[in-house]
Amino acid sequence: MSIAAQRTDETGGQRTPAERRWWLRSLLALIVLIPAALAVMSYDSVREFLGNRDFFAKEVAWGSKARFGGSDWQLTDLRAALGRADIPPEVVPVLVDLTVTVGETDLQTLWLGCKVMLVDAAGRRWLPTAAVSFRQTDDAKTCISAIFSSARSGDVLKIRETFLVPKDATATIRPAIGVASERPTFLLFERPRD
Amino acid sequence: MMRRVANIAVLLVAAFLCYGMQTTTPHYADLTAPIPVYGKIQDTILTRTFDIAVDKVVFARTLKFDQFGKQNLLTSGGVWAIVTARLDAADRSAMVAAATWQGPDRLNYRTSERASSAAGALPIALDPGVPGRTRLVFEILPSQVSGATLLVSGKLAGPLDSEARIALGSVATQPNGLPEGVTETYELGDTF
Repeated sequence: MSIAAQRTDETGGQRTPAERRWWLRSLLALIVLIPAALAVMSYDSVREFLGNRDFFAKEVAWGSKARFGGSDWQLTDLRAALGRADIPPEVVPVLVDLTVTVGETDLQTLWLGCKVMLVDAAGRRWLPTAAVSFRQTDDAKTCISAIFSSARSGDVLKIRETFLVPKDATATIRPAIGVASERPTFLLFERPRD
Repeated sequence: MMRRVANIAVLLVAAFLCYGMQTTTPHYADLTAPIPVYGKIQDTILTRTFDIAVDKVVFARTLKFDQFGKQNLLTSGGVWAIVTARLDAADRSAMVAAATWQGPDRLNYRTSERASSAAGALPIALDPGVPGRTRLVFEILPSQVSGATLLVSGKLAGPLDSEARIALGSVATQPNGLPEGVTETYELGDTF
């Protein structure tokens, strides 16, 4: 080993080849360790962020069922409710009917944060409204009230939600459903085919 | 000798820098404060979740409204400020939950609980494309009328979320301290 091959460090000391090798290894390790540390530290935040969001759509064709939150979901109807005098003409109340065959019965865990939505072609999203309500002639529930219905496995629940949507959006709106146990994935139903 | 002086100088600079950083550290509440979106009366202000445009501001001595089938008269030692505004959701259903009247002396008034059961009071649920309205009622000191700012946000506490800050402009004052054009009785009807 010649003297010329050795480098001098800041304190004026000489670095042995073994030190130099470890110095390089440490430097290279930082390239891996710094991103890894960032990933570990932000993991919880990212999971929380995605767990609160309906991000990835799982398409469901008209007439078919999809397993979601331990139960089988099917869109049965999407219709406008016209002829209400107390609603301005440019706004349309829309009713969404879903039929759910309960599989796993722990709905209070599996369906927590249950949210039925309407999504239009422009990506706008509507949540159920409390501004209008319609008299129910059947035993339809909302998603939240279904959670507390103590349904048993195999029961078929009818879920109905009401929305207020501007007229221009009615041509493209599609129903969707998200629950906390499945987020960031959500179900996006195809519009009813005639 | 020079080396020692230099060392002391570096130490002093370091101490000074540390002290400076300590005294100028922003409070956590400031770091995570709402993000303001500024505008003035009649402007449409676009926040992250909703759009708002203030139509008008009216001042009154007394409020009148029906509650549980009974007529209520609300008097005040100060003055009532009634703000009507148009609202719209941005791209998804949203809530507007909090409004504050910030006077020129930085006195902050939340919307009055006394009139919170009248139509148009917060919180208001908004749907995209469905025009919404709100009527905010504040009970304020007459000295806080002119040069006030209206703060409106989607949540009661919204860290790092946008907040509309609307300059309401100056209002002429009568000799008795009340704003010019104050109405004696304002009726909080179902339509506004």
